Amino acid sequence: MSSVRPLISLIAILSLAVAACGPGATTPGPSTGPSAGTSTAPVSEEPSQPQVALAVGLGFIKSVQFAPFYLAEQAGYYEDAGLDVTFRHGTDYDVIALVGEGELDLGLADGTSVIPAVSQGIPIKYVATIYGRFPSVVFAKASSGIAAAKDLKSRKLGIPGRFGSSWVMLQALLGSAGLTPDDLQIVAYPDFGQGAAVTQDAVDAATGFTNNEPVQLRLTGVAVNVLRIDSITPLPGNGLIAGTAAIDSKGDAITGFIAATLRAMEEIREKPEVGLDAAIKEVPELGAARDTQAAILDATIEVWSGPAQEARGLGAIEPGDWQKSIEYLKTLDLVPNPVTTDDLIDTGLLPAGE
Amino acid sequence: MRRSAALSILVALAAFIAIWQLVVVVSGFPPFILPAPGAVLVRWATAWSAGTLTPHLLATLQEVALGFVVGAGAALLVGYALARSALIERLLSPYLVAAQATPILALAPLIALWFGPGLAGKVLICALIVFFPVAVATMVGIRSVDAGLLELGRSLRATRRQVLTTLEVPAALPSILGGMRVGVTLAVVGAIVGEWAGAERGLGVLINLARGSLFDIPLMFATLLTIALVGIVLYLVVVLVERRLVGAR
Repeated sequence: MSSVRPLISLIAILSLAVAACGPGATTPGPSTGPSAGTSTAPVSEEPSQPQVALAVGLGFIKSVQFAPFYLAEQAGYYEDAGLDVTFRHGTDYDVIALVGEGELDLGLADGTSVIPAVSQGIPIKYVATIYGRFPSVVFAKASSGIAAAKDLKSRKLGIPGRFGSSWVMLQALLGSAGLTPDDLQIVAYPDFGQGAAVTQDAVDAATGFTNNEPVQLRLTGVAVNVLRIDSITPLPGNGLIAGTAAIDSKGDAITGFIAATLRAMEEIREKPEVGLDAAIKEVPELGAARDTQAAILDATIEVWSGPAQEARGLGAIEPGDWQKSIEYLKTLDLVPNPVTTDDLIDTGLLPAGE
Repeated sequence: MRRSAALSILVALAAFIAIWQLVVVVSGFPPFILPAPGAVLVRWATAWSAGTLTPHLLATLQEVALGFVVGAGAALLVGYALARSALIERLLSPYLVAAQATPILALAPLIALWFGPGLAGKVLICALIVFFPVAVATMVGIRSVDAGLLELGRSLRATRRQVLTTLEVPAALPSILGGMRVGVTLAVVGAIVGEWAGAERGLGVLINLARGSLFDIPLMFATLLTIALVGIVLYLVVVLVERRLVGAR
């Protein structure tokens, strides 16, 4: 009898869980804030067309880097496009899984994650480039003497772990100098620890994001060298992804979302303070370090444009770069099942002219 | 009796797998959200045969073993001191409770920063998570020793060491080992949390790899399965030790 009771309890608990997971049991994400207008554009008093609901996944933590989304919402660009947008924050792999499952319509994800995800059967496509240049970099104090990939040989480098975009980037960077990870001492640090590790000289260099750790280090008065892989391997940076089912059912709405977001990006590129104000309105705590956030936003704006975006406008996707990235990720065993660029990208949702 | 116990375990396992499969079918979750048990078992088998799991498992076991020894060892000493000294209990208790209440997930990255991403930091994280349940169980166990027995020991001029080894420890052993049952499973949690804070190898690292780099969700579940088995085996080891020292309960 005593051995049966726990089993009955387990069945009861799991039955409740199944009922909760049944059709219709959805958990919509919270809105990021009021859609009140800013001084940059008027807000429609009443929506002129039926509002299409879009659930959008952004990065793990609310940040000034998401200023275009905050501005587009606050200025009413999404509403003008007939959209009712709700944002959710999650990690890269959570956003990809949720978009693939249909829990989210759109998400912001790293391009190098899209390739293995699609290869594993997750039904998503990359529909707009946000970061035209790959944001993951290696950075070091200028005083370390590390100014090129070859200088990393036998040095100590901090990394969050041997996974993710930073690991992919590092191997590409080292490969360009004929090096492998075994040619240096790689030290695993927690995600936010690499900047501190470089500052304290616990490591000679570290991986980070061009609009984060190097910026923070420079603000302390330290000269920083940044090593990028854009000219080595054109890895796809962060961009908007959509589930294939959402593309079929809400294609026009997704195009409207992309157009509104790119509009906000253009405005911020023209006048960064507009983006900074929108971000601070969304996350008031950012206002406590306005100069720092302004520097991060400036660094973020810099990576929005790569060669493809300079030629064809913000958001443009370059299929040739994706093909090269597939070939490169195959060498890292990150493409277990074959994929083509058509499996990965959909350029048809970009606003006309992109 | 043993046959019926084994049978009930097998029935429970079969029911768990059946319910899992039922949830997969009823919920309609795709494999990259909730893979079916069969897919996970197949992936587990292929991960073992390909040697994917072994190095990570060994790394985690090393952290768990060292962390448990350090944490439980310190806990036994502190627990005894808490039981036998009201002053020490008054001084230390607030800090011990505060340390336990602070989420280890928040402390782990800081420990990795202070002690580096090597083995020492992970052993410390494991030890911290093991410490509290074993210390409390030791304190409770020592305090529960019959005062009459202690009086008898003193009247027979037993030395402090004799009182400890022949009266206090044997009487407190059931409670101490109960705390160790909890502690050893928490040590596995501590090792995984420590690896998430920065590590080259370990089952926690493999979870991140499977989920964040490979998008191989069956491998992630296979790793979770391995972690669960490690916890079960270690728990059973403590149970066997308990039966040997205290008898079946």
